Amino acid sequence: MPLLICLASLVCVRVTAAQAGDVAVVVNDHNPVAKLSRAELRKIFAGQQRSWSAGLPIRVFVRAPGTHERLALLKLLGMTEGEYKQYWTLQVFRGEAQAEPSTLPSNGMQREALATYPGAVALVNLQDVKAGMKVLKVEGRMPGEAGYSLN
Amino acid sequence: MRHISWTAAVLLLFSGLCYPQDTSSTDPETIRQLVQQVKDLQERVKLLESQQNQSRQNGSQQNHTDTSTLNPSNPPTPPVEVADQTAPTPGILQEIHETRGIQWRGFGEVDYKVLSQRAPELGTYGFVPGSQGNFYSGDFGLFLTSRLTNKASVLSEIVFEEGDAQTFKVDLRRMLLKYDYNDHLKMSFGRYQTNIGYYNWAFRSAAWLQTTADRPLVMEFATNGGLLPTQAIGVSVTGAIPSGKLGLNYVAEYGSSDTMRPALNGDGQVTDENNGNQTNVGLFARPDWLQGLQIGTSYYHDQINNNPLSAATGAPVPPPPGSPGPAARYDQTIVNAYAVYVAHGVEFLNEAFLIRHALIDGSLHFDTPAFYSQISKQFGHIRPFFRYQYVNASSNNPLYDDVGLRYGPSFGARYDFNDYIAFKAQLDHTVRRGEPDLNGLHLQLAFTF
Repeated sequence: MPLLICLASLVCVRVTAAQAGDVAVVVNDHNPVAKLSRAELRKIFAGQQRSWSAGLPIRVFVRAPGTHERLALLKLLGMTEGEYKQYWTLQVFRGEAQAEPSTLPSNGMQREALATYPGAVALVNLQDVKAGMKVLKVEGRMPGEAGYSLN
Repeated sequence: MRHISWTAAVLLLFSGLCYPQDTSSTDPETIRQLVQQVKDLQERVKLLESQQNQSRQNGSQQNHTDTSTLNPSNPPTPPVEVADQTAPTPGILQEIHETRGIQWRGFGEVDYKVLSQRAPELGTYGFVPGSQGNFYSGDFGLFLTSRLTNKASVLSEIVFEEGDAQTFKVDLRRMLLKYDYNDHLKMSFGRYQTNIGYYNWAFRSAAWLQTTADRPLVMEFATNGGLLPTQAIGVSVTGAIPSGKLGLNYVAEYGSSDTMRPALNGDGQVTDENNGNQTNVGLFARPDWLQGLQIGTSYYHDQINNNPLSAATGAPVPPPPGSPGPAARYDQTIVNAYAVYVAHGVEFLNEAFLIRHALIDGSLHFDTPAFYSQISKQFGHIRPFFRYQYVNASSNNPLYDDVGLRYGPSFGARYDFNDYIAFKAQLDHTVRRGEPDLNGLHLQLAFTF
């Protein structure tokens, strides 16, 4: 019996750890979009898709370097921090983007930005998701579910 | 509730301040923890202040526990806080810099180049032809953008380019009024860089953005001896084509260019092509199934003259014997195909061109094939690269009689000191038809600010 309890505890710890690492894709509450594929997400955060399906301009917000959300973003784009900066310099220089995505220093500010801009999208640690943030499914899965790919 | 939060924040702040007095005050780990605590508290204070502002505006505090936006079937259970914001606060607007002013960025370079021969070869970017080696400053570029509305913006690129005897000329390389209606229709009006191939679109003109110290010969700017009409004034339209996982995009351009191309062999002549209006259409795909892959093709057409001039005086020079006179018009057709992969620190560029010049009133025509292949991989701060390029112009082609056959490898490395300064070292070996092989060393300090 104690062995079973230990095993169950271990499983619980592993599940909690996995869920704590998940990063949610959040948008403005009124955005009708409910799900994205990983490829669509990559295009949005790479500035290659600049409007939602309803025509609403996308406004990307990212966290500062070193944060868990930033690391998840770099993993999604397949870039290092230096490559990310150079990529956006190139995008602006090519005329493909007006500016690099706004970097916000706190989740509180991300939350404000989401409320302020109807087309806003950001990445937020699952445990930091607050009311007013609409969480999108990625590849049909919500953060915290098994097989969720953004972490 | 707010008072309790404030009290907790103040207590946390005091506890954080008192903490180093009980332990070693110079312990870096302790300092790191304290800095983190201060950051956490600052974030908390910002949130509380914004909540306070909101409650003042509304007259009463609202509690929202709406979790309907989460997946109703299997919702995760994040902690839900009070009081969502619906109005922007001054803090967020300041942080996002919602300005309509001019944003600008600068690019510069300092170069040193050595060639294995003293015989004249075209000098570009300030490199002195006939010298064995010298310093020069290449292009110094100012890049300006301004957002006019959510869909309209202005972009310009002003380049100060070093010429002969350390003189500098100003070139308005790009000046565009851009209007992005949506992802499927993005229009630009003004002076643009033609979307022939990948390189001209991807790297524009700043040395800092390129891995190598120079551009491949076929993609060199026409004003520096390059083979293609790299710039034009007109309208350029691009956008995404609904194509699912294929990720298709189109490009269509119509404009006027008037290329003046100096001869590569350093004979002191310039060809004034007097181009007619040009049409360029292209397609490229960024398939979802391989992130970083881009495959594309383009078709360009215009009509040109072969009108050689003396670079020093501007006086007409007789064309090569046996070739049609300067009044003869040629159809110029440029077909391009490319496949590039840029992801995970790897850059693999491959482009091929077929340039056809066909005399309009006659059967005379010349085909000039060209390609380059470039591969590099980032290892920390250093990025070694290798490039092989090939251009084969007929010696009977009066438009490219200075080009001939040129091919050979380049290799070297780029070292990024930080996000703003890079040093590049490049060795070139060029085989030329009827001329001795040419070896070169090119060192470059490129920067952005």
